[in-house]
Amino acid sequence: MSETMHADYLASIETIADRYGRNPDFLIPMMQDVQTAFGYLPRDALEGLADLLGIPPSQCFSVATFYKSFSLVPRGRHTITVCLGTVCYLKGGREIAETIERELEVKAGGTSRDGLFTYEPVNCLGACALAPVVVVDSEYYDHVKLRDLPRILKKYREADRKGQ
Amino acid sequence: MSSPIATIGDLERWQDRVRQAGPAAVQVAICMGTGCMAKGAASVLEAFRREIAALSDGPRIEIKQTGCHGFCSQGAIVVVSPPEVFYRDVRVEDVPEIVRETALQGQVIERLLYVDPVTNKAHCSPHSIPFYARQRRLVLERNGITDPNSIEDYVAAGGYSSLAKVLSEMTPEEVIAEVEKSGLRGRGGGGFPTGRKWRSCREAPGEPKYLICNGDEGDPGAFMDRSVMEGNPHAVIEGMIIGAYAIGAQQAFIYVRNEYPLAVQRLENALAQAREHGLLGSNILNSGFSLDIQIDRGGGAFVCGESTALMASLEGKPGEPRAKYVHTVEVGLHGKPTLLNNVETWANVPIIIARGADWFASIGTEKSKGTKVFSLVGKVQNTGLVEVPMGMTLREIVVEIGGGVPDGKRLKAVQTGGPSGGCIPTEHMDAEVDFDQLWELGSIMGSGGLIVMDEDTCMVNVARYFTEFLLKESCGKCVPCREGLAQVLEVLTRICAGKGREGDIELLLELCDCLDDAALCGLGNTASNPVRSTIRYFRDEYDAHIRDRRCPARECRGLFDYQIIAEQCRGCGVCAKECPAEAISGERKKPHVIDQDKCIRCGLCFAACPFDSIAKV
Amino acid sequence: MGETVTLTIDGRETQAKVGETLLQVARRMGAAIPTLCYHPAVSPYGACRLCLVEVKVRGRTRLVTSCCYPIREGLEAFTQSDRVLKARRGVMRLLLARAPESPELRKLAESMGITDPQLPSVTKGKRDCILCGLCVSVCNEVMGAAAISFSYRGVERVVTAPFEQSSPACLACGACAAVCPVGSVVLEYDGETVTVEPFGNRRPALRCRECGALIGGKGMGERVAQQLSGRLTQAVDLCAECKRKISAQAICQAGTAVVAWPALPEGVTER
Repeated sequence: MSETMHADYLASIETIADRYGRNPDFLIPMMQDVQTAFGYLPRDALEGLADLLGIPPSQCFSVATFYKSFSLVPRGRHTITVCLGTVCYLKGGREIAETIERELEVKAGGTSRDGLFTYEPVNCLGACALAPVVVVDSEYYDHVKLRDLPRILKKYREADRKGQ
Repeated sequence: MSSPIATIGDLERWQDRVRQAGPAAVQVAICMGTGCMAKGAASVLEAFRREIAALSDGPRIEIKQTGCHGFCSQGAIVVVSPPEVFYRDVRVEDVPEIVRETALQGQVIERLLYVDPVTNKAHCSPHSIPFYARQRRLVLERNGITDPNSIEDYVAAGGYSSLAKVLSEMTPEEVIAEVEKSGLRGRGGGGFPTGRKWRSCREAPGEPKYLICNGDEGDPGAFMDRSVMEGNPHAVIEGMIIGAYAIGAQQAFIYVRNEYPLAVQRLENALAQAREHGLLGSNILNSGFSLDIQIDRGGGAFVCGESTALMASLEGKPGEPRAKYVHTVEVGLHGKPTLLNNVETWANVPIIIARGADWFASIGTEKSKGTKVFSLVGKVQNTGLVEVPMGMTLREIVVEIGGGVPDGKRLKAVQTGGPSGGCIPTEHMDAEVDFDQLWELGSIMGSGGLIVMDEDTCMVNVARYFTEFLLKESCGKCVPCREGLAQVLEVLTRICAGKGREGDIELLLELCDCLDDAALCGLGNTASNPVRSTIRYFRDEYDAHIRDRRCPARECRGLFDYQIIAEQCRGCGVCAKECPAEAISGERKKPHVIDQDKCIRCGLCFAACPFDSIAKV
Repeated sequence: MGETVTLTIDGRETQAKVGETLLQVARRMGAAIPTLCYHPAVSPYGACRLCLVEVKVRGRTRLVTSCCYPIREGLEAFTQSDRVLKARRGVMRLLLARAPESPELRKLAESMGITDPQLPSVTKGKRDCILCGLCVSVCNEVMGAAAISFSYRGVERVVTAPFEQSSPACLACGACAAVCPVGSVVLEYDGETVTVEPFGNRRPALRCRECGALIGGKGMGERVAQQLSGRLTQAVDLCAECKRKISAQAICQAGTAVVAWPALPEGVTER
């Protein structure tokens, strides 16, 4: 990493840490903010954060790997969240998850080779009335059927192609 | 309102002022809960704004964004008052008509009304809809009425009066005594008497004391707490301030799941408003009592619903539970006395103070007082949030409020209490739902998930699903939970795959014993419930899998066949195209056939068939 | 002196100081209680669950881990009841399924009446690691290095260096290897580096200045030197053998001894 990039890193991490008074109790929300800022948790950012807070980097790594919302690798441009809560599961969520895994050739938390989608199964979005639910970024798709999936994926693929 | 509310007199004057402003001639209440938002409520709101702005004259129409109305299967929900008409499945294109016909002329639009699937009767008023009529709404009372983003709305409805009463008329002792007398028990799962918990924390030596609101609602199929945080955040905050006064805490936290961004946003907004008006901060209402509340977001870990894990998380560590041989009310966050209650418990507190412990205790059963909010989901007509008095029977909840199982299917079981709850079969549908009854039936109240299962649900697979869930969510610290659940899952997986062995049920029960007796925390100690309760009530299904290699509910893949119903098949060929095993053949426009020897039973044809012509046999 | 309380263990009354754990008191009385994740040098963790005992509180009995159970007046505990032995055996079976080849585990299992692994291996640790956490605690609490921690969760839980890459915080002191109950952690020497496995912490090795024998990591030597003063620092880079020799010579010459240098911890091997 270059020096200037490192300075940028430090500046944004300091801003985030200051938001919580550099209190290490708020490590988890701070790391969430880091993830929002960088799209994932870069190692340098975590080490910088640990340094600022006076905690061992091992604590950051431990936290980053314990909680499911964190990612240590860059994520895709879109996040596909498939709800696997009980109701979604009973109403076909499992098949949806399997189809997405097959279609994108990813496993839970993984990113498709084209870097377009990160696939994230979640326990329950609390939107059980809409089961089964798929969320792409922050757009909800309710009562999803297997045959709807190609259309949903296509929408983002095409939007992406146009955008470039 | 810019000047802070420094005294109780200020609060009363403010309440009068916002009440005098009075309601507009017509009010359009739009549900902004997660369910309705997912169904496009935000666009509906925009459309209403556009439409109403374009009106040149006529009565003042107020648009009100409200919290969750609870009837989530009907979203997006809009209620226009007068005449208080409940519209369901409202879309952007319906908005001009609603404004023109209903808001301006009081005319009801028939096609947007809710039609009861049982009686075929259309309902105008939400109060007559059976889903609402049988409920008793205390915690959710203001959920579909007040704007969660407006402290004025909350105050106009008498909000923060309980706090004022507590600070001006009651000693901390008296507050605790009142909560004890109400019989309120923790709504987060355990059902521990709330007042007793408060007392222990107040009496515990050590300073400072902390107070926590557990908003880490992790049970799949449960969204009660989410709706309360989103729909009525000030009620939670008011309850917390009262609790903090009672135990003598000056710092409090709300721990919210990261998966609930809307709840975080609404709470943050509500906290800022409360601070701005002097209802949080130093010397609240000139009482000498000070408190601040901070929000902490979870990182996505079910185990953090466990109190010691939650506290570890609040200290910036992985959510690993620790032994609770010394209770958290004595040694909790940072080793200090800590009082933790869940969202719904906190929301009950202002109600108890306002209406009195005796009134509260008159609702419910002998040992479970008040109401309970359930999220009624699964194979049920009316999905949504229901609040009923403790002691209502499962049948009343599922059949009368929920409208029963759709598609003419047979009710098989109701699963309560989240992943560590149990499955209760139809023969116990007349059981009265309270903490103790559910425990006797091998389940738990949990935080209030109620999942309805029909004849198509395989109970062995249900046990497998919950075990897999719990194993994924196990922190991995203690051996029985990490290794034991992995063993349980291994056995259940092979049973579901038709590879079960004689003795597997006994092995499962042995592993369950080890979990119950030896696991470290509540997650492990209750993890056996799904397995035990399904063995207890549905042992024949286990036997069918193990001995006959058959899944009676036709859910476990490989333990049933797919067949094309020749009479219904139109020969479109979609199934044959989908089939990865090339097991389907047939001429175009003629019935197709599945070669059972080639079929890998993946189910893709079943899902793909546009005419539902493939059967599971 | 702290407050004393009276309690009953396996029917025998005894006195103990407030602050002691049930395990300490019971073992003092000779009760056989197996443990894997307990070590007197670190705070109790309660993860292996082998030290379960039954306690009677207000008429109700329940199983608790004695390693972290604080004693109190009137406590009644049973360390060998049927329920206790059954639960311990249940836990042991699970541990044995995870690391069926571990000689340490097999020996302990045998002493509890379990001869063969009875359950299939469905989880696997690096080098038979059973995730007792002693290495993590000793590195954190005793050495203050925090060069390793638990990472991931559930069945994927594993002890690693941060970012699963060699940690500069590691002193290669070998404390982790010394406390590991199943010999999962080892120090491997390769020329001038020492690697703490299975964490992959590679650090410069420390050699005895007299005989050249490998005696740990340079970081450890520096840490020890920082904490000592004067003549004592001279013993930091000496192996036990040479230290004894030099010490003996010093005693002969001047009548004073160099402080004892601890022997290489168990589990430290030379490649």
